[in-house]
Amino acid sequence: MTRSQLMNSAFFVTWLAASVRLAGPVLLAALGETFAERSGVLNVGIEGTILLGALTSFLVSLFTGMTWLALFTATGVGILTSIFLAWMYVTVKASQVVAGLVFNVLALGIASTVYRRTLGDSAIPESIAMFHPIHIRFLSDLPLIGPVLFGQTVLVYLTLALVMMAQFALFRTHFGLSLRASGENPAAADSAGISVTRVRYAGVLISGGAAGMAGAYIVLAQVGVFRESIVSGQGFIALAIVIFGRWNPVKAAGAALVFGACDALQLSLQIVGTHIPSQFLLALPYIVTILAISGLFGTKAVQPAALMSPYIKD
Amino acid sequence: MAKLFERRVTPADSLLDVAATTTLAFLLALLITSFLFISDGNNPLQAYFALFHEPFATLRGFGNALVRASPLALIGLGTIVSWRSGLAYLGFEGCFVIGAAAASWLALLTSPGQALGPLPFFVFLPLVILFSFAAGGAWAGAVGVIRARLGGNEVLISLMSNYVGIFFLQYLVSGPLRAPGSLPETVQLPQRTWLPFILPGTRAHAGVLLALLAAAIVWVLLKKMPLGYELIVTGFNPSAARYAGIDVVGKLTLAAFFAGGLGALAGMVEVLGSQHRLMDGISGGVGFVGIIVALLARLNPIAVIPTALLYGGMSVGADAMQRRANIPSSITFILQSLAVLLVLTTDVLRYYRFRPSALWGDKPLTAGEGTNR
Repeated sequence: MTRSQLMNSAFFVTWLAASVRLAGPVLLAALGETFAERSGVLNVGIEGTILLGALTSFLVSLFTGMTWLALFTATGVGILTSIFLAWMYVTVKASQVVAGLVFNVLALGIASTVYRRTLGDSAIPESIAMFHPIHIRFLSDLPLIGPVLFGQTVLVYLTLALVMMAQFALFRTHFGLSLRASGENPAAADSAGISVTRVRYAGVLISGGAAGMAGAYIVLAQVGVFRESIVSGQGFIALAIVIFGRWNPVKAAGAALVFGACDALQLSLQIVGTHIPSQFLLALPYIVTILAISGLFGTKAVQPAALMSPYIKD
Repeated sequence: MAKLFERRVTPADSLLDVAATTTLAFLLALLITSFLFISDGNNPLQAYFALFHEPFATLRGFGNALVRASPLALIGLGTIVSWRSGLAYLGFEGCFVIGAAAASWLALLTSPGQALGPLPFFVFLPLVILFSFAAGGAWAGAVGVIRARLGGNEVLISLMSNYVGIFFLQYLVSGPLRAPGSLPETVQLPQRTWLPFILPGTRAHAGVLLALLAAAIVWVLLKKMPLGYELIVTGFNPSAARYAGIDVVGKLTLAAFFAGGLGALAGMVEVLGSQHRLMDGISGGVGFVGIIVALLARLNPIAVIPTALLYGGMSVGADAMQRRANIPSSITFILQSLAVLLVLTTDVLRYYRFRPSALWGDKPLTAGEGTNR
């Protein structure tokens, strides 16, 4: 193997491993969002929910040093805040885009106020307890797939397990059927005895829990610190991944990998050193997302028929 | 069965009803936020005094409130044009940045020795307005075309385009337009290109007048012109609009172009009137607060002006509050967004009559329930 080939294979291994790692949070958020949208609610508020989850996990990990507790608390906070969102979407029947978008500003205000009040103007702590990559003997030493698939944190495997569970829950359970019925034809679902309100609340709460977990993922496995700009549109990218993945958890996993690959390419190319301005590479995931959901390629995505329309019982 | 909320036969949508529910919502938001002050050991009355005194009771602070309000008003007007045409455009952070970049680039071209050379202000001003408007219009218009022709989702595409715009700005101020020095920013723009100050003793600039003019134009467009009527019909019911012979694709594209142009003017006003240079992070969330202003003003181009002044003033007051009382200025984000969420909630009162008597089992007075869809 020549030196340049070695460089290339090392480059690809780093790139692929980073793709898997970076795809995690958006995939988690997209999985939850799939449930909300399948039930007929476009939850734009996950961007803010991810931020609140990130803050919660940061604070819990900082003060207790327990990563799992941080993960679960963040998920819990995501679910709790989503009760308010679900109330706005389903009970008040407010415009879903407006309520979600304004909630994001509210979450930004809450997160930065709580952060400043808790830690004051003191210097940012050096490190918090984080999830570390698990080294599995033999498997992690395999060429190429070793570092890509087996040198990851436990959260990657948790996410993959949740993809399978989500796929099963949506298409193989009674709950999944009720959810999809409420999103396609709420009136019919209602007359079949399904409580559309309850099902939609469930969809929004699931998306909130997943978003809170995604925030914890960013803090506990990627960044290790909290900043107000930590989410930087990953919640919005998750919304795009849901469309890109045609409201299907397994396809969403593929879409999230494509996004992760763009994001990781930017990191890898910066390390290698290119003449392309770094800002162009940073913008790449967003440009790819815009192109992917623009309708330029392939037919228009078929969304749940009742998406974004509140159900008003006659 | 007696219900706590009984649907009104006709929604209460007179000006008084709308103003009353909006005021109620805003007072509720103030009330909820005051618990945050109390939990922090502050007297809420003192905190609110700090929040509103500086912008609305001092001349200097009022000037600053006007400076903060003008980009908010312009973005709010952009929101009104696009949303009333049925295009949920959310990309104003991007438009703001594009407008700011276009205006700065043109202004830098007029510095001595550059391509255009020194231009008299009365030539430069219309030129820069047209150029920024066109740049932002093209930026947002592309999203309009994608939505109208290809059926893409404008909500997500415009949200994504914000990030592309912000990275483009970072590239400009750290690459081609960067001034010598450590900070990612341009050199100060030639003083000849600055918007003139209009209130002696304050930093209020001519951008305030531009925002007022734009509000008047948008009002005339939407209320008095056939084009505005067609835009609104497109927003209410695209199928009916198409059936009536309105070019829906063209109208959506045009609405996006106007919205983007207005958003870009906000950026232009910020660099030429207030910052006097282009820098990274110049937008700072104003693109979203502008949308919130438009929503609180219920997409009415006249009501946007006082609402923008209120929100601009609150952001001036928040800085003063942080300096004096050491209360984080981010608390105003909470107050500002809660107000809109509560407006959405109190709107229920305009469609439903609140009947506390249902709690103790009285029968409803009217039998109109369910017949008035």
